[in-house]
Amino acid sequence: MDLIKKIKENPIIKKLGFNRIVLACVLVLMYLILSLMVENFAGMPRIMSALNYVYFLGFLSLGVTFVIATGGIDFSIGPVMFCCALVSGYSLTSLGVPMLPSLIISLIVGLLFGMMNGYLVAYWKVPPFIVSMASMNIAKGVASVFTKTQSVSWPQAAKGGWFRSLVKVGKFPVGIIVFLVVAAICSIILNHTKAGRYILSLGSNREAVRLSGVDTKKWEMLAYAICGVLVGIAAIYFVGAYTTVQPGYGDQYNNEAIAGCVMGGTSMAGGLASIGGTVIGVFIIALLQEGILALGFTKDYQLIITGLIVIVAVYADVMARRRKN
Amino acid sequence: MGEVILQMIDIDKRFPGVHALNKVSFDVKRGEVHALMGENGAGKSTLMKVLTGIYTKDSGSIVFEGKEVEFHGAREAQDAGVVIVHQELNMVGHLTVAQNIFIGREFKKGIRIDDKKMNEEAAKLFEKLNINIDPTATMSDLTVGKQQMCEIAKAISHDAKVIIFDEPTAALTESEIEDLFKIIRDLRKQQMAIVYISHRMDEIKVITDRVTVMRDGCYVGTLVTEESTKDDIINMMVGRIIYEEPKTKSRVSEDAPVVLKVEHLNAGRMVQDVSFELRKGEILGFSGLMGAGRTETARAIFGADPKESGEIFVNGKKTVINSPEDAVKAGIGYLSEDRKRFGIVVQKTIAENTTMADLGNYMKGIFIDKKKEKKVAKEFVDSLSTKTPSVDQLVVNLSGGNQQKVVIAKWLCKNCDILIFDEPTRGIDVGAKNEIYKLMNKLAAEGKSIIMISSEMTEILRMSDRIVVMCEGKKTGELRIEDTTQEKIMNLATRDIN
Repeated sequence: MDLIKKIKENPIIKKLGFNRIVLACVLVLMYLILSLMVENFAGMPRIMSALNYVYFLGFLSLGVTFVIATGGIDFSIGPVMFCCALVSGYSLTSLGVPMLPSLIISLIVGLLFGMMNGYLVAYWKVPPFIVSMASMNIAKGVASVFTKTQSVSWPQAAKGGWFRSLVKVGKFPVGIIVFLVVAAICSIILNHTKAGRYILSLGSNREAVRLSGVDTKKWEMLAYAICGVLVGIAAIYFVGAYTTVQPGYGDQYNNEAIAGCVMGGTSMAGGLASIGGTVIGVFIIALLQEGILALGFTKDYQLIITGLIVIVAVYADVMARRRKN
Repeated sequence: MGEVILQMIDIDKRFPGVHALNKVSFDVKRGEVHALMGENGAGKSTLMKVLTGIYTKDSGSIVFEGKEVEFHGAREAQDAGVVIVHQELNMVGHLTVAQNIFIGREFKKGIRIDDKKMNEEAAKLFEKLNINIDPTATMSDLTVGKQQMCEIAKAISHDAKVIIFDEPTAALTESEIEDLFKIIRDLRKQQMAIVYISHRMDEIKVITDRVTVMRDGCYVGTLVTEESTKDDIINMMVGRIIYEEPKTKSRVSEDAPVVLKVEHLNAGRMVQDVSFELRKGEILGFSGLMGAGRTETARAIFGADPKESGEIFVNGKKTVINSPEDAVKAGIGYLSEDRKRFGIVVQKTIAENTTMADLGNYMKGIFIDKKKEKKVAKEFVDSLSTKTPSVDQLVVNLSGGNQQKVVIAKWLCKNCDILIFDEPTRGIDVGAKNEIYKLMNKLAAEGKSIIMISSEMTEILRMSDRIVVMCEGKKTGELRIEDTTQEKIMNLATRDIN
């Protein structure tokens, strides 16, 4: 026990965060075990496939980290991501909107949903759980109406699909760089700007922040808006990797994104968030998905396992807080 | 007096930053009223919370009816016969009296709740206690005094052997206090052991058999009430601490400029037509019983709760305050009685809390200038002598007095000229308490204007230049410190009720 304490108090480890180091070790260990168990797991195709998953899930997870930091929750991110991809994709393929404006439409749709959620939560005081459940249905409905319930296929790289070079150029995974840069920006927002300071503080003790003369509603709404934009980016990376989107889906990614975030050390009670943790968490989730398939299980097992991860991660968070009190 | 029924031996308890109980021993006998005294923060309530299992002790032992026990939570203590009547009443407002008394152990007829039987049983309890309350009345319709009687009835109904009263008279009028004492005497006759926590000296002399005094989390001594004088007890309570001299004369001249003027403020039942003026450099005390509407008045002025009507003038200029944001802009800072909930963000550092209200001035472009932030926090840590290893310390690790200083620093950092202190020394240990007093006097001398809400009579008399007294949401009087006596304040504080 003393040894662990000593390690925890080492300045370098303290700076990186003990929990994040443990999490990173878990990631590496998982990778090694899967490589030993599955032939060719360490190969390039698997890595590229896992990375495709990391991208869109990563942006979702970064987004929801801001919301959870306020002490809220957003169960609409998956379906909203699909809505972004469908609305912008339909604009591109059927309405003749050029590529760049289409991508921007995706961001705007995400932003609008984020602002709507944020407004209802912050100004009308509707519980985040209810708001996001409702907007999840709205997102599905809007997407279906807009596309007349047709799936949308984004163009392949060869035919004007230049946006796919945001994902990879040749064999080089450009996406990973974009993802890490965006994550770094998120981390700076959270730790070095007024927005981040107030988002975390109000997640920890809203009344105290309000009574300090801070407009807590504005900052709380901003957290949801940031989340919305990141969901819009996630949509671009989803179609960049998988091309086709179908209306009426997206729910399962809510859980996976929240799992990545909470596993990374962001507290469901609000006030504590770690972007670095979220990034590692997302890698673990993506690797797990890939691993489960590689081991020959069906997609249904993924659902069971992510469900369990959410419960375990949240329980660990609850226990950690109880110990502190 | 009978044999000792409950004994606590060498109880030790630490919280982050505070040694709350330092080897404290305490006992109580059957048929005795044993007072537990000490200033705020001396550790009285903590000791009782350890006894009833709300807190777990770090070391020491508890012997109840000859057996060593350890209760894990209030429920277990209750079942064993040790019950606590809390300072804040734990009643469900919209249920009836009987439903509240039997909450969690309702009588049943099959699967239905048997309200008739509960009403009968409650009536029996009231009869035993000689109280006249209708068991079918809705709890929220009763006065605070009556609600407390229900709380006592509930305690008795648990087949209690030891009853702990935690500052039972804080919210009661004189006549209600009389009724309460009658009940306590009856209980004593029935061989109940009673622990009576209070810091009102007069009550102690009237109602108790023995007095145990605590100070700074330590056991100081036990006296037999009959054989001791008020001064004996006060000396034990105060010990080495020498407080700021009580004020006998206001330091503020009557023509000092008015910095805050409140006119005909209304905000719900608790704030009715309140008007007053605050002068530059003045400490204006707000006195009254618990629930007199003082905190509500402060919150309404500060914009924390909505107002119905009324005007506020800051430095002679009419100012609209609809939110704390408006109030802070007008230079008003509010220090809540409940620091943990309303004052500080415990998971943030001292530096982050210090700039909470004034972050705009600590920015470099869009980024927070953390160096500048830490520098200013360090300056306040030094000038307020906040005890902490560094400004990077999380506020959760500080003691109550030092947390209060962080809140003060927050408002000084914002350069607020009007400070509303709501129970400034609640939960702060004795040494730190005097520091806060000194600090408030210093701030007033520097030209800050202070409204101080306090339920402690000594604090009001010691600190105020002028005193506003409230009762049931109305201002009932205003006194200059020169012609204030404790009796005058008490009369005004209970004017509407009696």
